[in-house]
Amino acid sequence: MDRRTLIGTGTAIAALAAATDIDAAAKPGIPAGNGTKPALPAGTLAPRGRFDRLERLPTLALESRQDFLLSFRAFANRDLTRAASARADAILAEKGVPKDADLPLPQALAMLQDDPLLQTSTRAWISCQQLSWNGLLEEFEGNADRYLAEMEAVDRRGPGTLELNPDLKLPDYTRHEIHIQPGGYVGSEFAGHLYHYGTNGFYSGRNSNDELHIGAAQKLPIPNDGRVRRILDLGTGVGQLAMALKERFPEAEVWGLDAGGPMVRYAHLRAVERNLDINFVQRLAEDTRFPDDHFDLVTSYIMMHEVSPEGTSALIREAYRITRPGGVFYPIDFRLTNAVRRNAAGLYRLWWDHRWNNEVWSLKFRQNGTPQQIRDVGFELNETGPVALAGFGVLNATKPLPNGAA
Amino acid sequence: MAESAAAKRPSFAATAIPADAGAAVFLGNPHLDNLMTVVIAMGAEIWSDRQRARIVERLLETHGKVTREMIEQYVPSDEERKAWEAEREAMVRRVYDVLARDASGARPFAEERR
Repeated sequence: MDRRTLIGTGTAIAALAAATDIDAAAKPGIPAGNGTKPALPAGTLAPRGRFDRLERLPTLALESRQDFLLSFRAFANRDLTRAASARADAILAEKGVPKDADLPLPQALAMLQDDPLLQTSTRAWISCQQLSWNGLLEEFEGNADRYLAEMEAVDRRGPGTLELNPDLKLPDYTRHEIHIQPGGYVGSEFAGHLYHYGTNGFYSGRNSNDELHIGAAQKLPIPNDGRVRRILDLGTGVGQLAMALKERFPEAEVWGLDAGGPMVRYAHLRAVERNLDINFVQRLAEDTRFPDDHFDLVTSYIMMHEVSPEGTSALIREAYRITRPGGVFYPIDFRLTNAVRRNAAGLYRLWWDHRWNNEVWSLKFRQNGTPQQIRDVGFELNETGPVALAGFGVLNATKPLPNGAA
Repeated sequence: MAESAAAKRPSFAATAIPADAGAAVFLGNPHLDNLMTVVIAMGAEIWSDRQRARIVERLLETHGKVTREMIEQYVPSDEERKAWEAEREAMVRRVYDVLARDASGARPFAEERR
């Protein structure tokens, strides 16, 4: 039985634990929180349940429409982008500009942004994104009582804890509708639900088992002394990396922090379901309220490029303060140098993603001198490895030991 | 949010700064932009019905009967999921590939007659 069936039929909340992975995890032979789910034979009829770690959407129609949009997005990313790039090259050739010319953004835009094929490509991508969000929003808001009851049922339950601070003063940068997600990360009670299912498109379907997060957690470097007792995941979102880190370091105290209350609420729900002892808190990454030198490992997962330059500077200072000497700060994010983006078509795509997909801070992230800021606060920075997430950048920072310490 | 008991529950949402993508016009006429959204949405609706039909067929083969509940609760095998994905992607390419056509050399017919 899945949690929707339980809540939807009015079954006692206490039965939640008995009918999900929490109970399964307690049974001999079935390890806790490892993502394992007994396979159902093909053709089995069962409550909609999950695909791997992801609860299936509640109706076949909604699931099918979202699947279709996933395929359409793949088509847009592959076929339409390829056609748009070829058209951009042709436009540059007509103007006598080499296709790999390192053009300033305004010049690239002036040449490309009114072309019908490039506009069609962008329009199709944005329409797909809007349809995906709207379909999910309709489900969660249309059945708000049910979904809110699910979260309420576990807000005060363990394992792990949930700290919500509805009066937290949120900096403006946290309140944008990034990726045109309705309400963004803070403005909808269902921000976590929307983000979790909406980002299936971003992950090209590799999201149902937290695949990338588990891979990243396995590859993140640890302090040279091997000591990992406390971990903090900044901008934890729906807690996918925090969960994967808890699975890698089951004895460590793991914290997930996010400015969005609905995000950490949903993260806590998922962690409880998986019997993972993680503490989720609604706080600011630049004001974590943890003691100095507290964490062995401080991480973030594709969060830095969603933060304003001022916020980035402040959170880097805060990360240094709370990382213990010898500890590691490793914010996973997009590469800061990317030759592909330097041609006109790449610049155009980067621009419309910023402007129309509301990647508000992504352009500034690339100009913000983040590596130097990390060095300036005192970290020793390694930008070459290890690569925690293939295709993404490396910012592997270690807080130096005091002079003379071994 | 729907008018319901949800309104009586504590809120943990803050005020967002809205994006303006809804006002974006890419195709020179907002109604043409709307039509792009319509044709993608129609594809999703068609696929939804097609997938439902596949499940009905499968249930009739394996169970000899079908109810709405059985359709909703059907758990596909990994092979079926992969087959559905391949069918979906083929459908997307078949229907939408024309969007990738470089029509920069095309002219309105009336203009050509002049």
